Amino acid sequence: MAKKDNIPNDEVKNAAELDDAVVTQDAAVDADLPQESAAEAKPSAGQKIKDWFVSLWDKIKSAFVSERKNEQLALPRELVEKIPPEMLLTDVKLTKKEKVVRFLRSQSGWLFVLPAVLLMCIFTFYPIINAFVSAFKENYNATTHRFDGWGFENFKRVIMSDTGTGGASFVQCLVNTLVFTLVSVPLSTLLALLISVALNSIKPLQKAYQTVLFLPYLTNSLAMGAVFATFFTIIGTSRHVDTYGIVNIMLGWFGVEPIDWVGIGSPTWELGAITIPWAKYVVAIVYEVWSGLPFKILILFSALQSVNKQYYDAAKIDGASRSTVLWKVTAPLISPMISYLLVTGIMGGMKQYSAIVGLFGDQMGFNYDMGTMVGYIYSYIENGKTGYAFAGSVLLFIVIMIITLINTQISKKRVTY
Amino acid sequence: MKISIEHLTKAFPSRNKKGDPVIAVNDMTIEIPSGKLVGLLGPSGCGKSTTLFMLSGLENPTAGRIMFDDEDVTTLAPERRGIGLVFQNYALYPHMTVEQNIMFPLTNMRVPKEEAKARALDAARLVQIEDLMARKPSELSGGQQQRVAIARALVKMPNVLLLDEPLSNLDARLRLQTREEIKRIQRETGITTVFVTHDQEEAMSICDIMVVMKLGIVQQIGEPQHIYDDPNNLFVANFLGTPPINVFKGKAEGGNVYIGSQAVMKKVKVPVKKLHEAEDGTVTEETTNEIISDQELYVGIRPEGFIYDEKGVLTLNVDHIEVMGRDKSVVCEHESSTKPTVRCILDSDVALPDSDKFSFNLKPNKVFLFNAETEERIL
Repeated sequence: MAKKDNIPNDEVKNAAELDDAVVTQDAAVDADLPQESAAEAKPSAGQKIKDWFVSLWDKIKSAFVSERKNEQLALPRELVEKIPPEMLLTDVKLTKKEKVVRFLRSQSGWLFVLPAVLLMCIFTFYPIINAFVSAFKENYNATTHRFDGWGFENFKRVIMSDTGTGGASFVQCLVNTLVFTLVSVPLSTLLALLISVALNSIKPLQKAYQTVLFLPYLTNSLAMGAVFATFFTIIGTSRHVDTYGIVNIMLGWFGVEPIDWVGIGSPTWELGAITIPWAKYVVAIVYEVWSGLPFKILILFSALQSVNKQYYDAAKIDGASRSTVLWKVTAPLISPMISYLLVTGIMGGMKQYSAIVGLFGDQMGFNYDMGTMVGYIYSYIENGKTGYAFAGSVLLFIVIMIITLINTQISKKRVTY
Repeated sequence: MKISIEHLTKAFPSRNKKGDPVIAVNDMTIEIPSGKLVGLLGPSGCGKSTTLFMLSGLENPTAGRIMFDDEDVTTLAPERRGIGLVFQNYALYPHMTVEQNIMFPLTNMRVPKEEAKARALDAARLVQIEDLMARKPSELSGGQQQRVAIARALVKMPNVLLLDEPLSNLDARLRLQTREEIKRIQRETGITTVFVTHDQEEAMSICDIMVVMKLGIVQQIGEPQHIYDDPNNLFVANFLGTPPINVFKGKAEGGNVYIGSQAVMKKVKVPVKKLHEAEDGTVTEETTNEIISDQELYVGIRPEGFIYDEKGVLTLNVDHIEVMGRDKSVVCEHESSTKPTVRCILDSDVALPDSDKFSFNLKPNKVFLFNAETEERIL
């Protein structure tokens, strides 16, 4: 009896789905002619969010429950009458037991992924969820697991930089990280593009240059950070200087006064609650750009090599200048790779830690004035205020998520696959 | 614009460094009259695309000269030659819309945007894609992409339009349609057009002038029908025509031409060139018809050159008969044939007896004689 009631329901559902299909088709047509019907095609924001949740729920459901597709199909009545009943596969009557067996069987695939899922649960999902939950525990003690209650106290203090002494300032770290990332990643991607285009246009010694350019990738970032620091350093005291680093020596040739790039006396700008140690910024950004280059060159160079030469011939015939070819032809053709480098580069940059420690020591400059987001988190794990570390990592997660969302929105418009 | 090609030669270095260079185009001298549609025809590797790229300036010649009207363009950069080139794979920029693709050459020439848009629309109208201007190339069919490529080549109003295998990426029906389209566009614009193809049917159907090439050497230049009716050598005769010409080993003896033991032609007179010295010492070339001397020959007979006759001069073993509706083709075998089968095309209303041997008479203007060694045409 219940089954029979189901059939018309299915039919109604199908009809609704059909209507949906028609609507989306109309929307597609509208997209082509935006000037004609922009007003009527726009659903309200609330409706949009509701639709989004409904489609998300449908997706989740379909991932877990694999139904036999046929059961959803309601055949037209005249067709059902023509086909002998025993050959109708759409409406198979099952006993409860058969239904249970069929469901279990359809879920048997989980057995195969179980080991991987178990490991991921232990080492990935649990820590993530735990961090999110623990961020709301007040005065959490990592050794005794005691806490005073739930609330937003951690977040409040982190954002207000009211976390006591011994750790980094959240706003300072956030600004530092954003500046390092948003300056160095686009800059090094641009440089990598120019270098790989140049590399692609030379024939002799191409492989040798490629090898040399890739060498920094094989080097440890802590060690390279320390080496970079000596380039910029001033050794000695403020009264008596023993020796300058190579950068100061070279700037001296142009009459520039030696700058204490990485030391305690490094020049700064004060901007309200935060300090901008601009000289240290320069060092950090130069290092980040330089260390980011090899991988980016490798990727862009191989992308360039796979571009069909005929596009360049066509551009030549069309009278395009070199810069037009680079920006109007080459760059768009490898835009998927550029976008990949920007997205992963920014994600990686937001998690920067070891290079800054290599350059400025484990206090990340003077009392964490060069601190990064990850450095912030570590500093609070070290001094036992784990709650701030949890809150900091949740905030870092949110920041990375927002930037990545912006990235994908931009690349949707700019990137052609 | 008239194109003169003089002694054009292109050599590529051989793969191993000590080897001889590969001669892709060998001492090519042709003249292309203004406003004509010219087809470079030949099997793959015959240097026809290389010739086209040298005309475009993308390849530099090793020797020779290219003249557009009276201007020597041999070493001129491609963008300064005033040419439009349509690539085999179209090479449309995938990230630009159709309109942006067509406008690209104009923006490089710094044409004001409004004018560029208007000219792009004109070019699009000419190839009938004005409805597709907002699409990306990936949203177009092969034929539409082809039209966009032609529009992009035409929009800068080139003096010469070059097409590299323009139809090879299209399906059979579209190919027929597009080749008529190319012919129409060429006629409407009056632009001197050179196109490259390996498909003799395509070349014959739309060319004003056809250039047949083999291994970098020009074999014959002329109107398609003329080349078909009067091929210079065995290669040209073989290359043109579907179904291809039937070639037999034969011999000339006592003025008669034999295939096997059958004399298919009697008292054959062939033109012989002779140098004639006049009394004042000027040497002129005279052609006289003389009875053919005894020699080994290739006898080429076009499939349509057979007339069914019970007392015909050539007897063939019938393998089977294919009925095509408009005509029928009798597929035969003969021991002297250089190909496995001999194909004779007859009118569909010719009544054929049920027999395994047919005799045919031959239409004289469909029979060619070639020297067995040089493969040059004798008659």
